[in-house]
Amino acid sequence: MTATTALPTSDDRLQQLLDMEKMTLSSAGRAAQGRAEQWMRYLGFPGGIAVFLFFYYFSFDGGLSGAAQAGLACFLLALVWWITEPFPTYVTSLVLMFLLLVTRTAGSKAIMDVLGMEVIWLNLLAFILSSMLVKTRLAKRMALTLVLRFGHKAGWALLAFLIIQMVLAPLIPATAARCVMTLPLMLVVAAIYGSTEESPNAFGRNLMLLNLVGISVLSSMTMTGSSANLIAVGLIQSMGGHRIYYMDWARLGAPIAILTTLAMWFLGRKWIFPISAEEQIPRLPGGLDVVRRKREEMGPFTLGEKKAVVIFALVLLLWMTDVFHLRWFGVEISAPFAALLGAVIVLFPRWGVLQWSEADIPWHLLIFSAGAYAGGLALDDTGAAEWAVRKLFDRLALDQLPFGIVFTLIVAVMMYSHLLTTSKTVRTMILIPIIITLSKALGWDPVSLALPAALCIDWVVGLPISGKPNVILFSTNQYSVVDNLKYGLITCTIGVVLLVISAATWFHWLGITPSFWAVAR
Amino acid sequence: MRRLVVALVLLATASGARALEIRSCHVRLDVAEGGSARGTVSLHLAAVEPGRIAIPLGFADVQGLRLASAMPAGTTLTSVSGNGQTIVLVDLPQGVAPETTLSLAFEVRQAFVVTKLAAGEKSTLPEGSRLLRHALVNSQPATIGSYRAEVLFPDGMRAHAIREALPKLGKKESEPRVRLTAIEGRNGARLQVARLLQGDSASMQLELVPRKRSPGWLIAGLILSVLYLVHFRDLIAKKG
Repeated sequence: MTATTALPTSDDRLQQLLDMEKMTLSSAGRAAQGRAEQWMRYLGFPGGIAVFLFFYYFSFDGGLSGAAQAGLACFLLALVWWITEPFPTYVTSLVLMFLLLVTRTAGSKAIMDVLGMEVIWLNLLAFILSSMLVKTRLAKRMALTLVLRFGHKAGWALLAFLIIQMVLAPLIPATAARCVMTLPLMLVVAAIYGSTEESPNAFGRNLMLLNLVGISVLSSMTMTGSSANLIAVGLIQSMGGHRIYYMDWARLGAPIAILTTLAMWFLGRKWIFPISAEEQIPRLPGGLDVVRRKREEMGPFTLGEKKAVVIFALVLLLWMTDVFHLRWFGVEISAPFAALLGAVIVLFPRWGVLQWSEADIPWHLLIFSAGAYAGGLALDDTGAAEWAVRKLFDRLALDQLPFGIVFTLIVAVMMYSHLLTTSKTVRTMILIPIIITLSKALGWDPVSLALPAALCIDWVVGLPISGKPNVILFSTNQYSVVDNLKYGLITCTIGVVLLVISAATWFHWLGITPSFWAVAR
Repeated sequence: MRRLVVALVLLATASGARALEIRSCHVRLDVAEGGSARGTVSLHLAAVEPGRIAIPLGFADVQGLRLASAMPAGTTLTSVSGNGQTIVLVDLPQGVAPETTLSLAFEVRQAFVVTKLAAGEKSTLPEGSRLLRHALVNSQPATIGSYRAEVLFPDGMRAHAIREALPKLGKKESEPRVRLTAIEGRNGARLQVARLLQGDSASMQLELVPRKRSPGWLIAGLILSVLYLVHFRDLIAKKG
């Protein structure tokens, strides 16, 4: 977000921080911080080209088609540019889309159609709903209340957000929706703790990245946490011959997800991005008293706020009850269409609360997403992703290894593979069938490997391109791609370690996994 | 008229082939640069009885058909074509073993798809690309237990894309229908179907391109990199 100039008094400063309706999601690139990042940006451009040329010209075995090889080269070039940021991420996306066409990896229709995908629509509509929260000042009221209640110390404020994400995760499967709902609160609270786009601090980094982890990882608590989870359950049933019930998933997934997010809450502020003593408390002269006064000045709920509550409650209800839609309405109202209904009411003349010009839709973000999705889909459609996974498993030579080693390798591949994909569904469709087939070939029960692997589906926290909330939160410019990668990799590693410990202990006691050192047949 | 003949022939063979089991059918086609190809088909048959059986080949324009495995004297081959594929009629004499492997060799005059463009019509393929298609319809009564077709590409060519791979994968299948693979040190593709009932079909279409890539991207990439490193030096300039 971009706000105007610095201010003399604490009241004025807080007022400016809370004047969210005057802010817009900025498309301006983030300035390089430090010499290392300057060099990374400088060398990122030729580095990306070098990676492209290597993968484009290298003679792989006959299993990779020309289109798949070109797609892999294009995607890796974009990945290097997204990480090193020689220019804004959305420009890289546009370059990627052009390259996919001219290398004949994908047709123009397939590339252009990405902008019409459900996920792009959901992002767009969710931003309209988010604008409603900002414009009606409901977000401001909620943020002030949150800070007054939990904001005495940074740690408690972060924990409050984690609890909010924990409550929302089983209720709303759409991660983008959860993210956009809570984004305005994050921005205000970050600003109160002195973290803005112009001068991000450790609190802002922790807040955004902890929310990212909360939104994504906590989706793995239940099998209904995302549609990709349900696809995995279907594959385990149809290919592995085992039915997975709601509680089968929850009793394995929930403890791992909750423990990991709590670990990140602790490690993030103590070790990864340590929050200094002065950042531990709201950065406002006058402290929480100023916040309390501002909250009182807002007075009772306005009509606009009440309308926003009703509209949001309606959309929320539709998001939460999607399993009943067919019975109630004869048709399933998917998450984007529920948001679309909300947007219609929000923008409705006289009855609504917003005009189109007031909706803050960050198109640069949607273009960034579109490019990432076009690249990801090309890897899937050409078979490049599947080829890479099979090659990797072939190289690992898993037969005759003890179960625990096989388990560790498979879970690690599943966990970290999100760095090279942009869609949970695509990753699930490629990896879960291979893992089921592999388990059968190795002589292990498919559930013992496929179900723990499925628990990793939602852990897409490594890069800004890895998922919808990642793109949205990255647009706040509160952290860099490298910050995201560092925080995400630590999260994933904690997840892998917890899963491996679980496989050796209580997964085994529950009868999900065999003995850790067992050797098949 | 041709379709009618094929239908009558198949009808005539139907009674003799009723008990026949085709446990597997493996086809291999070795394509040369110009598109001519040498092929073999190997069938593992069970419950074989003397009489006529029909073997669909999945290639049009087949010639030089001959036996490639030892069969009892008196075994004769005839080919008829219809619906874009060749059907080999094998007459088996008395004394044929009830379970046997029948191998045939043949040549295909042109394995690449030849598209005749109308006046003013543009080709949808870039210069140097070729389309290779194999489509089999199981037009005889016996179920084919396992069907595999392997195509070896001409030297110096590789697949750019798999444009068609049918039938679609079932819920329990995890292997891709068509897999690009190295066969005997050469680039090739393998189509695999677990079971083909009467009337079922299996097909693949591949776009082949020269294996050697143009150096255009290399030149463009090097020029862009050098230009960037020169013109964006200020990114690493020390401030102050």
